[in-house]
Amino acid sequence: MDEEYDAIVLGTGLKECILSGMLSVSGKKVLHIDRNQYYGGECASITPLEELFSRFGAPPPDEAYGRGRDWNVDLIPKFLMAHGLLVKLLIHTGVTKYLEFKSVEGSYVYKGGKISKVPVDQKEALASDLMGMFEKRRFRNFLIFVQDIKEDDPKTWKDLDPFNTTTQQLYTKFGLDKNTQDFTGHALALYRDDEYLNDPAIQTIRKIKLYSDSLARYGKSPYLYPMYGLGELPQGFARLSAIYGGTYMLDKPVDEIVLEHGHVIGIRSGEEIARCKQVYCDPSYVPDRVKKTGQVIRCICLMDHPIPNTKDALSTQIIIPQKQVNRKSDIYVSQVSYTHQVAAKGWFIAMVSTTVETDNPEQEIKPGLDLLGPIKKTFVTISDYFEATDLGSESQIFISASYDATTHFETTCTDVLDIFKRGTGEEFDFSKVKHDLGDEEQ
Amino acid sequence: MATVKIPEQKVILCGEFGVGKSSLFRRYAFNTFVASNNRKSTLGLDHINKEYSSGGKRIKLQLWDTGGMERVASITSSYYKFAEAAILVFSLDNPASFHVLSQHLLDVVTYAENAKIFLCGNKFDLVGQDPQVTDADMDNFCEQCHNLISVTYKTSCKTGEGVDEMFADIAQHLITSNRSRLELQALEELSFKVTPQDEPADPTCLC
Repeated sequence: MDEEYDAIVLGTGLKECILSGMLSVSGKKVLHIDRNQYYGGECASITPLEELFSRFGAPPPDEAYGRGRDWNVDLIPKFLMAHGLLVKLLIHTGVTKYLEFKSVEGSYVYKGGKISKVPVDQKEALASDLMGMFEKRRFRNFLIFVQDIKEDDPKTWKDLDPFNTTTQQLYTKFGLDKNTQDFTGHALALYRDDEYLNDPAIQTIRKIKLYSDSLARYGKSPYLYPMYGLGELPQGFARLSAIYGGTYMLDKPVDEIVLEHGHVIGIRSGEEIARCKQVYCDPSYVPDRVKKTGQVIRCICLMDHPIPNTKDALSTQIIIPQKQVNRKSDIYVSQVSYTHQVAAKGWFIAMVSTTVETDNPEQEIKPGLDLLGPIKKTFVTISDYFEATDLGSESQIFISASYDATTHFETTCTDVLDIFKRGTGEEFDFSKVKHDLGDEEQ
Repeated sequence: MATVKIPEQKVILCGEFGVGKSSLFRRYAFNTFVASNNRKSTLGLDHINKEYSSGGKRIKLQLWDTGGMERVASITSSYYKFAEAAILVFSLDNPASFHVLSQHLLDVVTYAENAKIFLCGNKFDLVGQDPQVTDADMDNFCEQCHNLISVTYKTSCKTGEGVDEMFADIAQHLITSNRSRLELQALEELSFKVTPQDEPADPTCLC
């Protein structure tokens, strides 16, 4: 440990592991430390099941839950967009070789107490029970416009400059009613609140395209989920970092981040000091350089059946748009199952999450829980959401934000790419990755 | 494309830092040996495929190296996932590296339940006829492990002795145990790797 590094990364959550991998690949000498004795931090998938129960202070699970080590339970539920940033990162870094995925079977949206399949193409739009007959035609026209539009070809813009009109104006042009706007913005474009209505239409168009391009890749929904749980993702990037020379230390407390004239020169663990030019870390390692900007509630639900009304889907996402339940932010429900090697045979894990708005967060997720049918066991966490107050230009300490309530990894990746750019002064150069070992078939 | 898919079998190397896992990997991959004073532990070694055949059946061994993670930290559990075989490596001149194998064995059976397990005593060239770890020690160990270990080997990465033979033999064992693998495949049928998309009109590629 008593050496000099280009960068020391603290915490092995997904963001830190991606950063560590990117830095090592870029030729930096990296030391990666976690205070826990396991990889993944908050992004770990907890195994065996006994560990999950004891983590929440519950008595050990009975034999109905099957074998404990067949379980790998995520603490933060998310899916990958098949055409999204994380998949791009996985492919360009070669980390995809360490993982296997399944396509999420169902993508649903909540309306008036019921759930409906999210319509994404013309055919589904016309068959959907979310809209009346005339509204369906308007929505179909809107979808055709979004699919055909090319950002660099004004001829496809249909008299609407997408860079200089708001999303609200776009909706109005196509005559979409409030209901349709609601599921378009929240279940297709995946916005968390209604701020986006005043943003340029092009942003919403890009997000809807991301959804439909993702859907086009692997099938029934735009989402992917890795076998054995999300905890495999940070581990994959950690391996990448190690293969490019990164040094790993687990179970290592970090007692001090050592500064000199306002910028970081190393970290201290006990009597040892490792010197470095930069530190990358999650908020828990630097409580004095972050501020709390909100809270997220997440409820893990263990069930012995799939979510009702989803055609027995073995994996599902349901979005409850804020307005449907008189809220400011959406409620998300996601479900995976034993087919993903995250639960014992016959078991399902659902997760309900949202951004906290009141003093009674457990009441806030009730509309989500009500969709699940009988639940055998619930575990609730309410976690603070932290953002950096120090962007690192002086201190050279680069801090990731906590994981938000979104159900996919797009914001996770934009945070990582932004930190990488701030830290290294350049965009990540995907061409620097040479993963030819083991690829002799190409 | 009508190419016949040859089954890939993930084989992982396990054992203490410095017993020669990466040297086995290099012998397997490139048939080279780099003396320890000439290299930086395990930089850049990931995994590599090699084809074997036996009795008309073909198989691809996909050998994985640890990435050097065991040097200070522990190896990630995902390293073990999907492994069909694990080679427990120790150094014949270092009894400590042998005695600690029960810990590595535990990791293998925890995270790669279905993997066949092999035992490999490396650095045979250093000990000649007078090894620190004897055949009797190895037999005892196998017995204590309730016969979880399929075969034991002795190798020297420096001279190359026994290395090819070991991998060929492991390939043979995996071909014979095809049945359980087919069962697993049935289970994994619906999962896949994410791959780059065939995009003829990719605007970022103006070639």
